[in-house]
This record gives sequence, structure tokens and C-alpha cells, in this order.
Amino acid sequence: MIEVKGLSVHYGGIVALDNISLSIPDGKIVSIVGANGAGKSTTINAISGMVKIHSGTITENGESLLIPPQDIVKRGIVQVPEGRKIFPTITVQENLILGAYVIKDREKIKKNMEKVFDLFPILKERKNQPGGTLSGGEQQMLSLSRALMSDPRVLVLDEPSLGLAPMFVLEIFKMIEDLNSIGHTILLVEQNAQKALSIADYAYVLETGRIVSEGRGKEVADDPIVKKAYLGIEE
Amino acid sequence: MKINLILQQLLNGISLGGVYALMAVGFGLIFNVLKFSNFSHGGVVAICAYFGYFISQHVYPNFIVTLILTAIVGGFIGVIIEKLIFRPIRLKGAPLTLFLVNSITAAMLVQQFFAVMWGDNYYPYPEFIKETAIHIGEFTVSKIYLLMLSISAFVLLILSYILRKTKIGIAIRAASSDIRTPSLMGINIDFVISTAFFFAGILGGVTGYLLGMAFTVDPFIGSMILKGIIAAIIGGMGSLGGGVVAGLLLGVAESLLIAEIGASLTPIVIYASIILLLLIRPEGISGKGYIVKA
Repeated sequence: MIEVKGLSVHYGGIVALDNISLSIPDGKIVSIVGANGAGKSTTINAISGMVKIHSGTITENGESLLIPPQDIVKRGIVQVPEGRKIFPTITVQENLILGAYVIKDREKIKKNMEKVFDLFPILKERKNQPGGTLSGGEQQMLSLSRALMSDPRVLVLDEPSLGLAPMFVLEIFKMIEDLNSIGHTILLVEQNAQKALSIADYAYVLETGRIVSEGRGKEVADDPIVKKAYLGIEE
Repeated sequence: MKINLILQQLLNGISLGGVYALMAVGFGLIFNVLKFSNFSHGGVVAICAYFGYFISQHVYPNFIVTLILTAIVGGFIGVIIEKLIFRPIRLKGAPLTLFLVNSITAAMLVQQFFAVMWGDNYYPYPEFIKETAIHIGEFTVSKIYLLMLSISAFVLLILSYILRKTKIGIAIRAASSDIRTPSLMGINIDFVISTAFFFAGILGGVTGYLLGMAFTVDPFIGSMILKGIIAAIIGGMGSLGGGVVAGLLLGVAESLLIAEIGASLTPIVIYASIILLLLIRPEGISGKGYIVKA
């Protein structure tokens, strides 16, 4: 279980996160929803060790996660960044090899690559192409596969559905549920609140750096404020 | 020009071009990852030219041993330069201009140091090869140049293998397009950058040694990397292969022009052509871009 307590992050003089607390229990899907600039990405970047925190603690099973980002990956907590961030100039296969950077055993890397190729056969077809030549949807598959290459326990997904065709959005959410059902803990950050809340075991709503609502996914989705602000439903 | 002379100049040009290619790649490696023109590479070249002279002339006059030793020393000098003058400003998020200024300052510092300490003399490497030329009919080939060519090719092939086949090599190439994201794969980016400087330093070490051996060592030997930088730019910044091709072309063009129009006019023609080439094709020979789709 990952626990965030009293986390604040400042960028220069601007308060991006103000004293937020949340927990991500093992094996669950936890969603963070909120508008643009609410602090969603900052929250997960703090968990991934990518931003300097101002105050607060982040722990996993009592051990501090305030360590360099590469050590967080070694602990099995892996982020799929917003905007895919695949490496465009190296091949699909090389992207995947880097995903398994923390794994030393070559056989294991090969096995994991076969696993992701089974999951996304199109990537196998394109394995020798530069990543930058893939379509947006394929780049999202590659980004997710790259994260899976390191056998993560916890997958941290930043806006996985952003900019994707509607059909592919459904597929991605289905994929997230599947990954959860085979044991991956999921922390999901999404602007697509409706979808994110519908698959979440537990959800948090962020607004300008503060948590304004939390609860089981369905409960949060039924909260009138959330309905109005994020789901576009007037009561 | 007689055909013999042309062939000979061609071979000389390719050999010299091989060293330009070494410089272009050493320069390009750092440019790719950190996006600044690393003039301190000239400092590494100069230090290694002197170091190679010193150990081969005064400690152990064996070509292979001293070359390898100089290359390794070059690698570590690269790492030290990164740690001392680039890492601190990188961690502070300094603008690229500051990297450029630091790199030029480091190159000048090395140059001035050698000018003051050993500037009033030329330092020749020992004569590793007794017979300096091979004669094939009317055709004469300089052994030193052949040696330069084969060593440059060998070093570049090894580097190319490392960059394509090893995890750290792939990570260096990935960092060229995005320096932040590799951390999310558990890659220690500081280590990746250190390694890039190590490889670039090895190339600088070999370059310094070969230049020192082919010519003589003087404090301004480091400024020869300007040719390598030009090759990297013509080749297309970001493309190491393009830098190699451009280095070879530059060497050949130079040698042929020197034979045809003389050494004083050659640079004028070369530099004018480069400006023209970059006007027509600003991305260089093989510069190309990929789009990350959001």
C-alpha cells in the first residue's frame, strides 16, 4: 500500500499541491480526477520521484518513497507518462528493451517482450520501426508495454486516454481493468472522469491542489458537485 | 592532376577525414544528449595529445599500449569535465548558453595552460614506424595515414556496436530525444550522461593521439576539432552517421583541393561551400525529425 500524507508541492511561489493525503491499497484501482491544472500530474510525479516535494511523506508499506526516480522503478512502481513519451528515434523493440532496464536477466527480458507482443501484436509487426512512425494509438500501446516490461506491481497511468479515438479509449480502459485483474495495482489519473470513476475502486477529486471529494468510484460519481463540474450532469 | 596523385590525395583525404569523423562523433554524442556545442572536447583532445606524447616518448614507447592508455585517460577526463563544469549547472537548470560558455572557457583554459607550460616547443611522437611509406608501383601510401584510417574506423565501429546493442548505448540514444523520461524506466540519467562523456572522451583521446602522431603536438592542437564540429553540422546535428560521412567528405575535399588549388585557397573554398550547402539544406546531410504524437 502506497500512502501519501500531507503532501505539498510548490513550483516557485505557486502552490501546486496543498496538503493532500491519499492511499493506494495493493491490487486496487485508484483514480484521481480533476480539471486541467488541478495537480493530478504533479501528484503522480511526486509519487514517481520526478518533482521535488515541499512537505509531507510518501511511503510504501512504511518505507519512504522520497528516493530518486530510478529507485522507485526498481521497487516496482512504474509510471506511464502523459503524452506517451515514447522515444521517437529508436525502434519499438529498443523502446521495450529500455522499459526492462532494471531487469538484468536477458531471458526474462525476452519473455516479457513476448508477453507484450502477445498483448499487442501490432507492436511485433512494427518492432524494427522507429517509435516516432507509430500512430497515436500505437504509441499509447508502446508506452504501456514499455512500462510492463519491468514487471511492475504498481502502474501509474497519466491520462492514458488523452487524444485517442473513442474506440481506442474503450479498449484502453478495458486493458486497465484486465491488468488490474491479473494483479497490478493501478493509480489512474484522468480528465475523462466518467470512465475513470466507473472502473475505480476508490477515487479522489482534485481541485486547484486540494482534494475536494473522495470515496468509492460510484459514490464519487454520484456526488452532485462532481456530477456538475466533471461529468456535465445537472441535477 | 595525374590519376596517381588523385588516388593518393583521395586516400590521404579519407584518412584525415577518418579523424574528422572521430571528432564529429565525439562532439555529436554530447550535442545529442545535452543540446549544446561542447567545445571542451578540444580540451580533451589537447590534453590527450600531450599525454600520449609524454607516455610514448618518455615512459613506454609502444604504439598500441600508449594509444589505449591515452584513450582511457581521455574517457576519464571527459567524465571529470562533466562532473566539474556541466553537472552542477545542469542540476540547477541553467540555460544552454551557460553550457556553451563553460565549454569554451574549459577549452581556452587547457589551451592557455599548455601554451604557458610547454608552448615554446613542438613535441614529436616517437617514430613507431621505421619505413613511413608503402610503394605499390608508382603509388605511394603513407603508413601513418593508413594507420590513422584503420584506427578511426575500428573505434567508430565499436562505438556504433555499443550504441546499437547495449542497454546503456540505447539509453544514450533515447536520452537524445528526451532526457527526462528515461528516469521513469529506472534509468539513472546522471550515469547515462557520464557514460556519454566517457565515450566522447575516449574518441577525444584517440583523436589527440592520432593528431599528435601525424603532426606534432602544440597548444593549439585542440582547435583542430573545429573541423570535426563543422563535419557534425554538415552531417546533420543529431545524426552520428551523418557526421562520419561528412567528416570523410570534408577530409577528401580538403586533400583534393590542396593538390589542385593550393593550401592557402582551400579553406576559402571549403568554408564558402559549407555556407552554401547549409543554405540549401539547413538540416545537414541526414538530419531528420520524428514527431511524438500526443
